[in-house]
Amino acid sequence: MLLFLIRRTGVMIVTALCLTFVVFYLTNLPAKLETLAKTQAGTRISDAEVVTWLDRNGYGQPMLVRYGEWLGVMPGWTREVSDEVMDGRCYRAYDLREPGSAPTRCGLFQGYWGESTRFRATVAEVIPTRLGATGLLMMWALIVMVPMALVVGVAAGMREGSRTDRSLSTFAIASTATPEYVSGVVFIALLASSTAGLSPLLAQWGWIDGPVLFQGNARSALEKITFWNFTLPVLTIALYGMGYIARITRASMTEVMTQQYIRTARLKGVSFANIVLRHALRNALIAPFTVIMLQIPWLLTGVVIVEVLFSYPGFGWTLFEAAVNNDIELLLAASVVAVIVVLLTQLISDIGYVYLNPRIRVT
Amino acid sequence: MSDKKRKATELHSAARLYARECEEGKLSRREFLTRATALGVAAPAAYGLLGLTAPAARADTPQMGGTLRIQMDVRAQRDPRTWDWSELANACRGWLEYLVQYNRDGTITPVLLEDWEANEDATEYTLMVRQGVTWNNGDALTAEHIRHNFERWCDASVEGNSMASRLGALMEDGQLRDDAVEVVDDHTVRLHLSSPDVTIIANLADYPAAVVHPEFSGDPIRDPIGTGPYRPVSYETGIRAVVERNPDHTWWNEGNGAWIDRVEFIDLGTDPAAWVASAEGGEIDMLYETTGDFIDIFTAIGMVETEAVTSATLAVRFNQDSEPYDNRNVRRALQMAVNNAEVLELGYNDRGIAGENHHVCPIHPEYAELPPIEMDREAAVAMLEAEGHGDTEFELISSDETFHADTCDNIAAQIRAAGISIRRTILPGATFWNDWLTYPFSATSWAMRPLGVQVLNLAYRSGEAWNESAFSNAEFDELLAEANGIADADERRVVMERLQLIMQEEGLVILPYWRSLYRHARPNVHNAEMHPTFEVHFQNYWMS
Repeated sequence: MLLFLIRRTGVMIVTALCLTFVVFYLTNLPAKLETLAKTQAGTRISDAEVVTWLDRNGYGQPMLVRYGEWLGVMPGWTREVSDEVMDGRCYRAYDLREPGSAPTRCGLFQGYWGESTRFRATVAEVIPTRLGATGLLMMWALIVMVPMALVVGVAAGMREGSRTDRSLSTFAIASTATPEYVSGVVFIALLASSTAGLSPLLAQWGWIDGPVLFQGNARSALEKITFWNFTLPVLTIALYGMGYIARITRASMTEVMTQQYIRTARLKGVSFANIVLRHALRNALIAPFTVIMLQIPWLLTGVVIVEVLFSYPGFGWTLFEAAVNNDIELLLAASVVAVIVVLLTQLISDIGYVYLNPRIRVT
Repeated sequence: MSDKKRKATELHSAARLYARECEEGKLSRREFLTRATALGVAAPAAYGLLGLTAPAARADTPQMGGTLRIQMDVRAQRDPRTWDWSELANACRGWLEYLVQYNRDGTITPVLLEDWEANEDATEYTLMVRQGVTWNNGDALTAEHIRHNFERWCDASVEGNSMASRLGALMEDGQLRDDAVEVVDDHTVRLHLSSPDVTIIANLADYPAAVVHPEFSGDPIRDPIGTGPYRPVSYETGIRAVVERNPDHTWWNEGNGAWIDRVEFIDLGTDPAAWVASAEGGEIDMLYETTGDFIDIFTAIGMVETEAVTSATLAVRFNQDSEPYDNRNVRRALQMAVNNAEVLELGYNDRGIAGENHHVCPIHPEYAELPPIEMDREAAVAMLEAEGHGDTEFELISSDETFHADTCDNIAAQIRAAGISIRRTILPGATFWNDWLTYPFSATSWAMRPLGVQVLNLAYRSGEAWNESAFSNAEFDELLAEANGIADADERRVVMERLQLIMQEEGLVILPYWRSLYRHARPNVHNAEMHPTFEVHFQNYWMS
């Protein structure tokens, strides 16, 4: 078990290194650096100004050297402003000016994640707050999605080919086949518009106080999550993932229901409800469990669309903003976070598997 | 200065133009009134132009209090002189004030100045600094502080310092010329220009010209020393910026504004659909700007639309350094194939006035009226064939921003309709601006500037940094220099007419329209009409 954990952590570090290098390479292409200079110093600055800006801000060195700086294995760049004032990566990191007062290296190994050029704050400040916001969104999405998916899947898989199965399966396929950017927009038009959909009708009947049933924008959820402002984003994410999990649960359930021991139980006169709940369910849940775990990193990318659509500043929204503005160090940190989340959920799913299925052993 | 001293009784020339259009039936009466009043013509006078009497108006007294929530991009802050978006200025407008201010009606009024005077040939300006202004750290505003600001503005070594490009007449070797700014006494500053320049006062109203304290470090949020009545509470890039009335500071204009307690700028991203959703839920009271189809949508959900006629435009220009646009007849032919009124209608929903293929707008004080331009598709094709470009495929490049793309699509469609082959290329905004100066044939949006000569100085004078058309014409440069030295707008118009004609004759740009700008606010927000340069003067707004 310990060996397994060590090996997994090793894989995680190697993956993170490879991924960050690719991201670093792509965000440091000359055209990208030019975009960065222009977003930082002024949209319409001249080419000469771009070059001096890049030089002054430490982007002039070779790419590998700067990747090393970010990791903390190479000394950070420095520039002498005057006799008393030094500028440099590590001087900025710790807000210092005096020559010689800053450490030579400051990077990931020293615990410094860098500075976000888009948000003008350290990455270490930006990521946790945004990740926290997304955590809440994902938590609510999972709370809605998982029970719904399991109920739908189990109900559909109990009697394969029945009317219940057909209608629930149609619903599940339809919900998976509708991407978030479609369902989100449909929900907004249907439930959050004062001129279209249900809201004008409800307002006319006097059933709702405000002009709209739900808020089509989740910005206010940043301060206080309410049923009113959080329903639509949660529903949009949950519905998309739900269909998929329901399909897997159904497949697994139908397979279990054809097993010999279920037939035996039936012949012995055990009631149908009892068979489903006591004999079939646990075995049928093994496959969905892995899928739910894999769904988490998938949700993490899915939230990019939903968070941008509902302008909810979470991790996905941050990723989008960082990508659009070529915020190098924020993108790097985001990819590290993504790697950790993916491999961590895989680890949990592997270990959980062992408990659910005694035939499998971690070695 | 003549631009300021236009009397209230004197009518804007464009207003007369509109009145004529209204009589000819080209403009509805309601639209005429909106536009004429947007030009600063008082409503009764506007009615008078049509031979009508104005309905009785109701006067309102501003109320104190309230929180105003404005949808606006909240961009990463930096040193005011390097600001490249007016949103950056709006977020700090509560404490960083300006020497002068440009108003909706095209006039310029003093703020931190009491008044100013120009000499006959616009080479010497005397600025009278307002008495009794204090910074919110307790210091009094003096002429020395103003000189310090000129020093900052004229430092060209700071990347992106756009003030340096506006104050060339005060500079030498990329710095403020030693004798350019003379401090006469505690409250008088005299500017000595190296060449005549009528635009200098208008440039001081531009959004990067915020006046800062000598101890200012470069970050207006961390270091909010200013003269205005508000102070920052929080600033989260991309999310939200909050300002509140500063209780520890007495504003020089106390009692004449700063009615609202707290202003929140909320950044809801770039998708206007998200703004609609937020407005419907009652989470914003006002928008920074509404564009395109969304203008009607916001009106439909019960918000009040205001319009500002501006000289903002989309210049579809040819770069004369590139083949085949180095040929004047090719440029003229392409221009001739396009009907600007149609571009306005289909590319910008008829929200503005048609352009005349030169970069001086009817709202500019020195605008000279020229005979209407003609459109002739057959002549255009004949001209191209005569130049051996009958089969050439042209390429029109634009950014993906909706109105840029729509406008260029329509221009290309019209050129195609004439039988000329043309290809459209749409680039994402982020990459488009990397090379905006050098594309052979592309569209650039130009912001509003108060005077007609200003954009000509920036974009069409030989060798200028922003001369995207690579235009170089000795006669034009000479006349422009002459126009820059004529302080009186009516006298300047004579030279301007020739400049406008040269631009047309040389086939510089397809300038399809002058954009009107729109903004929506809830009915309980007052004084918050759209401003031609996107300024949000929230110290004058009030809520009921």
